[in-house]
Amino acid sequence: MKKILFFITAVSLGFMSCTKEKTDYEAEIETVVTEHYEFKEAVSVSRQPYIISVEALNGTFYAGYNEIRIKVTDTRTSENIQASALTFLPILNLTDGSVGSGPHRYMPEYRADSSFFSGYAVFTNESGEKGTWDLYMGFQIGDDTYRIKQAVSVQKQLNKNLNMTAFTGKDGEQYYIALVSPQKPKIAENELVAGIYTFNKPSGPPSGVFPDPSQFSYSQVNDYTLQLDPRMPEPSMGNHSSPNNMDLKQRSDGLYYGVVNYTMTGNWTLNFIMLNKNGQILKGREVSTDFTPGIEGEKSDLFIDILF
Amino acid sequence: MGFLVLGIEASAQHTDAPRDTSKVLNEVTVIGIAKKKIETELKMAVSVDEFLASSENISFIKRGAYAWEPLLNNMSSERSTLTIDGMHIFGACTDKMDPITSYVESNNLSTIDIQSGQEGSLHGSTIAGSIDLKRKSTPFAMERKFSGAYQSGFEFNNRQFFNLGNVSYSDEKFVADASISFRNAGNYSDGNNNEVNHSQFHKFNTSLGLAYKTSELSSVRVDAIYDRANDVGFPALPMDLWLSRALITSASYKRLFEDGLLRVWDSKVYYNAIEHYMDDTTRPENLVHMDMPGWSNTYGLVSRVNLKSDRYSSEVQLNAYENISIAEMRMYPQDRSQRTMFAYSWPWVTTRFTGLSTNNSWDLSEKSQLSFGGSVGWNYNRSKYAEFNWIFHPGAPQEKSRILPGLHAGYRLNIDRFNFSAGLGYGHRAPSVSEGYGYYIYNSFDRYDYIGNPDLKNEISYEANASAGFKTERMDIVAKVNYFHIRNYIVGKILSLGSPMNYQSVGVKAYTSLDYARLFNLSVTANYDLLEHLHWKGMVAYARAKDDQDANLPFIRPLSYQTSLHWMHRQFSVMTSMNGDFAQQDFSPEYGEDRTPAYMTLDVSADYTFKIRHYTAVFQVGAENLTNEYYSTYADWGNIPRMGRNIFTSLKINF
Repeated sequence: MKKILFFITAVSLGFMSCTKEKTDYEAEIETVVTEHYEFKEAVSVSRQPYIISVEALNGTFYAGYNEIRIKVTDTRTSENIQASALTFLPILNLTDGSVGSGPHRYMPEYRADSSFFSGYAVFTNESGEKGTWDLYMGFQIGDDTYRIKQAVSVQKQLNKNLNMTAFTGKDGEQYYIALVSPQKPKIAENELVAGIYTFNKPSGPPSGVFPDPSQFSYSQVNDYTLQLDPRMPEPSMGNHSSPNNMDLKQRSDGLYYGVVNYTMTGNWTLNFIMLNKNGQILKGREVSTDFTPGIEGEKSDLFIDILF
Repeated sequence: MGFLVLGIEASAQHTDAPRDTSKVLNEVTVIGIAKKKIETELKMAVSVDEFLASSENISFIKRGAYAWEPLLNNMSSERSTLTIDGMHIFGACTDKMDPITSYVESNNLSTIDIQSGQEGSLHGSTIAGSIDLKRKSTPFAMERKFSGAYQSGFEFNNRQFFNLGNVSYSDEKFVADASISFRNAGNYSDGNNNEVNHSQFHKFNTSLGLAYKTSELSSVRVDAIYDRANDVGFPALPMDLWLSRALITSASYKRLFEDGLLRVWDSKVYYNAIEHYMDDTTRPENLVHMDMPGWSNTYGLVSRVNLKSDRYSSEVQLNAYENISIAEMRMYPQDRSQRTMFAYSWPWVTTRFTGLSTNNSWDLSEKSQLSFGGSVGWNYNRSKYAEFNWIFHPGAPQEKSRILPGLHAGYRLNIDRFNFSAGLGYGHRAPSVSEGYGYYIYNSFDRYDYIGNPDLKNEISYEANASAGFKTERMDIVAKVNYFHIRNYIVGKILSLGSPMNYQSVGVKAYTSLDYARLFNLSVTANYDLLEHLHWKGMVAYARAKDDQDANLPFIRPLSYQTSLHWMHRQFSVMTSMNGDFAQQDFSPEYGEDRTPAYMTLDVSADYTFKIRHYTAVFQVGAENLTNEYYSTYADWGNIPRMGRNIFTSLKINF
């Protein structure tokens, strides 16, 4: 009897192994998305007795939105100190000789609890054929003023969930929308975070030592609304969309928060309509909501593509 | 020591067996001999589906020639409990392409026990009733005994060739039952002689049961069924089945008691694993290639005691199981180098159920009997990836527990040749995995993608049933009615904010609860022995069902009938039957139905019994749909035509 039972168990176990393996959901989400959650030093410059270092996620500047942390360290005490008048200005040197920048926080804010300066930079291009990036920074300690120019390398953002777009609104202003979060979306309700910035046109010609910050001034726009309509552009998905999405509204940290539901992995297009505080459309239009199998989904004239 | 088996038992028996509406089944005893056979009067080599179809309260949704979904009392399979020897098994296909009746074969079953309404709550919470497939189990014998049967046959319409074999060995201490079967069929042709593409199937099934007598009054038994179907076409669906496999195992311990109130204690642990892989590569018209694998694993415990005193008998059963259902979909973009699109259609849904139920009968007098029972169950669901469900139902709980009570009572009275019965029932059921947690499950009948709702309320049924019968030596007529008022009836309703995912679909439906729905079923069955060897049998069934807006519910069978004549003479027997539906007037356009015209089919068969040495053999030849009628029924998915004329032959040798 025991032998028979053993035999049956063995045969059963043989049959029990599945023909096809189940999908590992976590691994599936990670196949095209790498999530970075650790701030590491991206660049550091020594001005004895101080070292100024700029940290970014994964220690790399990527095209698009970058949250940055700037630390000023006194090498004699190895302590981070609160320098005054710390400024931060990324400059893009285009190959045609002109210069530009991207949205950034010129005066990063000091966070006393973690003793660094908090800022951000939206790099509009990666370093390469189009141009190169320099960081211009300055700070004061006591009566001494330090000025720094440091070339940095900006890498291509491979995570499409952190894409950005730049455009001119109907009001003639230059705008930037950069995705901040989620880095790694899920097939779920995702909080969608984006920064919306505008270029402040200079009121006069450049003056003083290059770079004149008034020529490269950007600010977060306030009280705008970013209407959202996510769709899958793949022809076979027939302009598929998802329910229960919420338009992006500004919160106290200046960023815009909304909700996007992704019903499956793959390519998605976030179609936007940007409204100013008076509710006027500055860019974007409604797209067809029809189910059109076999036809690639139509996109708004304001959109960002993502992939996960 | 035994229980009452009503319903199909009566209609599925051989005509020459005593025609009692109730019958004591010796299944629970170790020494009893099960006499039921899985065959209809017309055809001895039936599939499990064909056998079930001969019952008056079963109808089917058919998506092709294989794996029909049984509807009990015109209610879909979520509303009934389907079990094999009391074991819960759940299909692994989100499209219900694999009801559990597709994982057994007629030669490893002894009988099918169908209970209507709350009387079926012994195996777990139900609304419509229960269908329990009972496996063959040979009793212990006084002396060594070998027996078996081999059956082979060919059906001409779809070139189905089948071989079924089973052997049993029994002695005083040890019993072994084994069966094996192969069925291979090509596409069938409809009544216009047009081939219905993608209607082929290939099935292999084998089973083994071993029992050992541990003492005079106790025994242990282990059972296993392995079933494999591959290359099965579903003409009504946009995809076919590449492979499905089921392994159904159990180990049981049974103990009898010679005297006292407690007579039998029977306990069983079980495990079953089902995998189901669809295939759309045979359908070039599909715009999207899609993989849709599904898995369903269940383990559980059934423990039952039978109590009996002079005029009172009772069964108390404990059911406990845990199931995990997983279904994936992966769509491939037209540019195959692009990222595939993935989602779960069942996001790893766990169901746990524990319930205690009882059925009792008490003989008030020689002529009257009271039956009553009830059940209380605890049902728990958990969705591992609840974020899928939150897309449509933000904030829905990841886990949900429900209490599922049930009660029923009935009274039966015999006055001379008349018998009457009346009963009432009340019961709850929990939503199924698809209804609660399904995610973009494409239903090709109404062409909508279905979304589950974890917050659905329990469906609550209030049920009344009655029957009246008249019986003489030569005839027997029974009329049965039942009425269900079901609160929170779960259906799919169009969700305007949804956008379909499957490219064939036209929209999204969410499972929601109607305030109530009402279903009414009526059947009249009659037998008459015209001559000693000429028997007539007839059945008429009617059903009507409406929702809370007085609109029709879908898949309700129109007025239907079956009538048959059976003539026997010595070794010969000839049988003819006619069955059909009237036109479906009360269809439900809202659920994708259209009017189905009336149809009638005529079947005939003849068989000859002879001896080869000391073996009995039966040769049968017959034809189904003799007139080659072109038809489809109200429940044929996508109005796929049924099989045209089918000539079948079969030979069975018993040894």
